[in-house]
Amino acid sequence: MRHRNILWFASVLSILLILPLITDDAFFLRIITEAFMWIGLAMAWDVLAGYTGYLNFGHGVFFGIGAYTTAILMMRSEWSFPFALPAAGVVAGIVALFAGLPTLRLKGAYFAIATWALSRAVQQVALVLEITGGPDGMRLPPFLNPKFFYMLMLGIVTATFLLFWFLMERASFGLKVRAIREDESGAMALGLNPTKIKIQAFILSAVPTGILGGMYAYWITFIDPASVLGDLVTDQAVVMAVFGGLGTLFGPIIGAILIFLFKTYFWAYLADYQVLYLIILGLLIALSVVFMPNGLWGTLTGYIGARQALRKGLAVNPQAENETEKGDKTHE
Amino acid sequence: MLLLLPQAIVDGFLIGGIYVTIAIGFSLAYGVMHIIDFAVGEWIMLGAFLGFYLNIWTQWDPFFLLPFVFIVFAVIGFVFQPVIHRVLSGKKGNPLLMGLVFTFGLGLMFRGLGLTVFGFYSHSIPSALSANSFFLESGNFFVTIPVIRFAGLVYALSITIMLHYLLKKSDFGLAVRALSQNRDAAGLMGVNAKRTSSYVYGIYVGISAMSGVLIGCIFSISAQMGGDYTVFSFFVVVLAGMGYLSGVPWAAFLLGFVQSFFLIYFNPSYTLLAVFAILYVVLLVSPKGMFAKGV
Repeated sequence: MRHRNILWFASVLSILLILPLITDDAFFLRIITEAFMWIGLAMAWDVLAGYTGYLNFGHGVFFGIGAYTTAILMMRSEWSFPFALPAAGVVAGIVALFAGLPTLRLKGAYFAIATWALSRAVQQVALVLEITGGPDGMRLPPFLNPKFFYMLMLGIVTATFLLFWFLMERASFGLKVRAIREDESGAMALGLNPTKIKIQAFILSAVPTGILGGMYAYWITFIDPASVLGDLVTDQAVVMAVFGGLGTLFGPIIGAILIFLFKTYFWAYLADYQVLYLIILGLLIALSVVFMPNGLWGTLTGYIGARQALRKGLAVNPQAENETEKGDKTHE
Repeated sequence: MLLLLPQAIVDGFLIGGIYVTIAIGFSLAYGVMHIIDFAVGEWIMLGAFLGFYLNIWTQWDPFFLLPFVFIVFAVIGFVFQPVIHRVLSGKKGNPLLMGLVFTFGLGLMFRGLGLTVFGFYSHSIPSALSANSFFLESGNFFVTIPVIRFAGLVYALSITIMLHYLLKKSDFGLAVRALSQNRDAAGLMGVNAKRTSSYVYGIYVGISAMSGVLIGCIFSISAQMGGDYTVFSFFVVVLAGMGYLSGVPWAAFLLGFVQSFFLIYFNPSYTLLAVFAILYVVLLVSPKGMFAKGV
């Protein structure tokens, strides 16, 4: 990060840290806490989809597994929350490891299908199992402290952001996954082990998702298969990342904030038309893909980069090597 | 328990027939356009509802409505295909990835549309054939074959034979097969790739919608049914080997057996888990499908 970026990051973070000190509005804090959660989910989805090029259409399953792990450990085994929360991440990671093992060796489509099938299978199983409470869901002991959840959610999402920033933009891992996204056989010829790296990326995407799920369970205090394992979690994460911009760190954040704001207003004023929301989400994905394949953030940075290049009188756009540009390679 | 075994096998066979038709259309679209259509289950759902409302409106038997549903959805698919083509031939980003995301969004939109217009309730399409069934008995074993399911199998076989004839004997089929082998070379030989792809996509959407009507006669329809049938279609296509048409019937019948066995012997709620488990094992052992002939 350049100095200016560090300054930006520090100021945004400090504003967010001060916010709960100056306001006691529980509703307001709750909205922002949920926005953090969606930022985390969209970022985690993008690590696999945008950076590695593998679409996980069952992302919500890790959220649900995390939520149920925390809930089951707290309610059935009487673990305390500080231990049950990391366990959610561990279980999500293990499931990702085993689900990714056969499917990530193959082309992207198989993986997309397998994750989609996995999420539907887990949904059905959670509905019939005894331990998950079936369709009635589970209730957790209420812990009514909005500021605690605000701070914890902010901490988890910031940690996730910094981890992703380091791994994807600074460490060699980011280059490795990009190499796999661009050309898998080429990456293999360079001595990389694509399967191993893809599984690492999958786990990297699943663990924060599981932890966020565990947070959600304790925060909302009630989970059922429809709310945490339903398709809506995946759908929204996909829309946020695609609309914001795949393969960037800031794209999913911006997408998550905009879509979440829209969702909050929409559900507040048009609560009778909740299913309309699905149409809008689907339309947004389709339109983004057709008219804005780089997403909002990618298009914006591309535009600004082009303007700057014009002003400097450069023939070549210095931002052209931006990670969202992938040239005109076609995979046949 | 054993008494029900012949019934389970026959049921599986009869259900499997419908999955054959869906999966063949799906494989066809994949072979020509290299698209994995995540909206396949939603096409089935929309087709089923068109059949349902037409049935209420005209009071005709759903079997007579099938050609009409096919035509309506073939036209929709034909008109729609250029949009998908545009996404798949885009220069920005990874087109295949974008195609997947696009059809995912499409599926989401259709599901929302279905829930808005048709509501959350389950319906079934009444057919004159639902009332009767054949009853076979031999010693202790007995098998009931509902006429409607038998008709579904006949439908599946006739569609499969028609498609086979179309692909292997007609000029259009030659063009389709050429396209799926080598797009550029087929273009040089005078095959209109865009037009042919549109026809294929239209046929695929039409068949899916038509199968939806049959599913509505045999089981039930609801606006949320799409997701399960998307999983089933993928299961069949992946198990058969992506793009390997001859493997489709085997995989489809296997799916039918899994479904009927879980319905009769276990809890049907575990069907999808079993489907995933089989998918998982097959991908682990033989990633190119049961016959190792996919791509």
